[in-house]
Amino acid sequence: MSSVIEQIEKQIANLQAKTVTSNTGKIVQTADGVAKVDGLSEVMYNEMIEFPGGTIGIALNLEEDEVGCVVLGESTHLKEGDEAKCTGTLLSIPVGKGLLGRVVNALGQPVDGKGPIESSDVYPLEKIAPGIIERKSVDQPLMTGIMAIDSMIPIGRGQRELIIGDRGTGKSTIAIDTIINQAKINKVGLASGDPNFRPVYSIYVAVGQKNANVARTLNVLEESGALQYTIIVTAPASDSAANQYLAPYAGAAVGEWFMDNGMDALIVYDDLSKHAAAYRQMSLVLKRPSGREAYPGDVFYLHSRLLERSARINEENGNGSLTALPIIETLAGDLAAYIPTNVISITDGQIFLETDLFNQGIRPAVSVGLSVSRVGSSAQIKATKQVAGKIKLELAQFRELAAFAQFGSDLDAKTKAQLDRGSRIVELFKQPAFNPVPIEEQVAVLWAMQNNYFDEVDVSKVVAASNSVRDFFVSRKEALLNKIREQAKIDDALASELKAAIEEWKSTFSA
Amino acid sequence: MTKKDKQIKEYAKLLLKVSMDGGDLTVERVEGVLAVLEKNPPRHYASVLKAYLKLAQREVAKSTAVISYAGSVSPAAVEAIRSQLSSKYGRTIAAQTEQDDSLIAGVKVIVDCDVYDASASAALKELETSLS
Repeated sequence: MSSVIEQIEKQIANLQAKTVTSNTGKIVQTADGVAKVDGLSEVMYNEMIEFPGGTIGIALNLEEDEVGCVVLGESTHLKEGDEAKCTGTLLSIPVGKGLLGRVVNALGQPVDGKGPIESSDVYPLEKIAPGIIERKSVDQPLMTGIMAIDSMIPIGRGQRELIIGDRGTGKSTIAIDTIINQAKINKVGLASGDPNFRPVYSIYVAVGQKNANVARTLNVLEESGALQYTIIVTAPASDSAANQYLAPYAGAAVGEWFMDNGMDALIVYDDLSKHAAAYRQMSLVLKRPSGREAYPGDVFYLHSRLLERSARINEENGNGSLTALPIIETLAGDLAAYIPTNVISITDGQIFLETDLFNQGIRPAVSVGLSVSRVGSSAQIKATKQVAGKIKLELAQFRELAAFAQFGSDLDAKTKAQLDRGSRIVELFKQPAFNPVPIEEQVAVLWAMQNNYFDEVDVSKVVAASNSVRDFFVSRKEALLNKIREQAKIDDALASELKAAIEEWKSTFSA
Repeated sequence: MTKKDKQIKEYAKLLLKVSMDGGDLTVERVEGVLAVLEKNPPRHYASVLKAYLKLAQREVAKSTAVISYAGSVSPAAVEAIRSQLSSKYGRTIAAQTEQDDSLIAGVKVIVDCDVYDASASAALKELETSLS
């Protein structure tokens, strides 16, 4: 006890000789969560500003006469003449493994009621993206567990793949499936004791969502055992526009910590349309000039500087990666709107989800023609390439032929065969939500499709047949699945083993 | 900001420029400027004067050190503070003293936006922050 007293006395003695220097200003106007401050001559852009009552703001408009500060949190107690003080620090967030399994707000404060976060490191929210020298090409796969994506639109670690589509088309589901699949892979990999295994940690950033939706996502992740590898950063719809604007940057800072420390991370921004809308609101109350659709002129930079922070880093700089899955919501499938075109041009590809496909029961409703992965194919494992190389083309041709076939009844045998095969592939790619398929099982099913083992199965029973193949392999051919996973390519020996296994399955399925 | 506001601001800036003598705002120059304005009032006279006042206040604040103290402060100490600040900012700083018992003890100096607080109340506030 006496040591505590001594410590306080010592601190008082130190303070007595010290002069506290600060740069201050006075609030001249406050409205809509924005305070205009006169003074603050040494303020930096994005610096944290301290207001009375411990309220924090960020300096966003540095004008000749005054500084426009966006107040984070409650601002109703602020009034004209109140003092504002420069803190000399940029907005930062606690980072590290202590955040795994937690739900935090845009400032890194826990909102899950699980107590304080154990973290010694802090990262600034805004950071310059890694440069050219530090980067490396994307060459490691990031399995989503969704057959349609892993086979046709593969994603690599460090890639930025946009998920785009109308409301209610399953955009968030794809992202959550991917997070669940990473957790499944992590569990298997860490249990195997492989020293070269690299787990992927996930960050889910919820911007402008209903609290009920965030709670549902949290439950799904918890029930699937993925929460222990996941961090949720949330700025719900009830939060201020400033917090919604900051949340993706906070998530990026958390992800960067993993990347900088030689680990792999995946970040989902759900969604950037709401993020752009929050930034628009903030810019308008700051009286910044507005442009197209009332967005400010720097709305492209808003997303480009965020998504550029996702990268694959070379060995000399730690060999980490940050993969981004930004989500954009379109209106009536309009891909040519302002924000969608901006983000499409920034990212390394997009997964376009169609409402029509979704309503037809094709889920995930991936539009093969409009979806693309620009860098992911070099990260795809050889086994998937071998079994799914032609599927994207076959499926695209099927969609085109199916449209024409609606007008005529007389079709030649070749066209009929193409349509028949296409409809089977469509069925094969149907997958329920929150049920990612391991890559080795995907390879087995696709191999069976490639080698025409599903041709005799009725189209309506293809999904059942595919599930039956998977069950058969999991229950009876585990060694073969392990071999596919470890070997990652199909040689003659593996092909003959697959053939034998599928023949065996066929007899059980027919029976 | 409208075009009118911009013009008023630019005009006020010009007035401030001619009110300066060797980097300092002088009473003679300001009196001269005001006399000329009164004789030939510009468009939006009142607004121009208000803008001029704001700029002048800022300029005065830049060259004035408001020394608040609790207890007593000697004239020698005031002069020492004034000369120190003049050399720091590279311009003549005038000292203005006022008693403020809320500081408990010590001195607090304000020059424009900069606050130098060597008072007991600031020390206690810092201690409170470090302990919380």
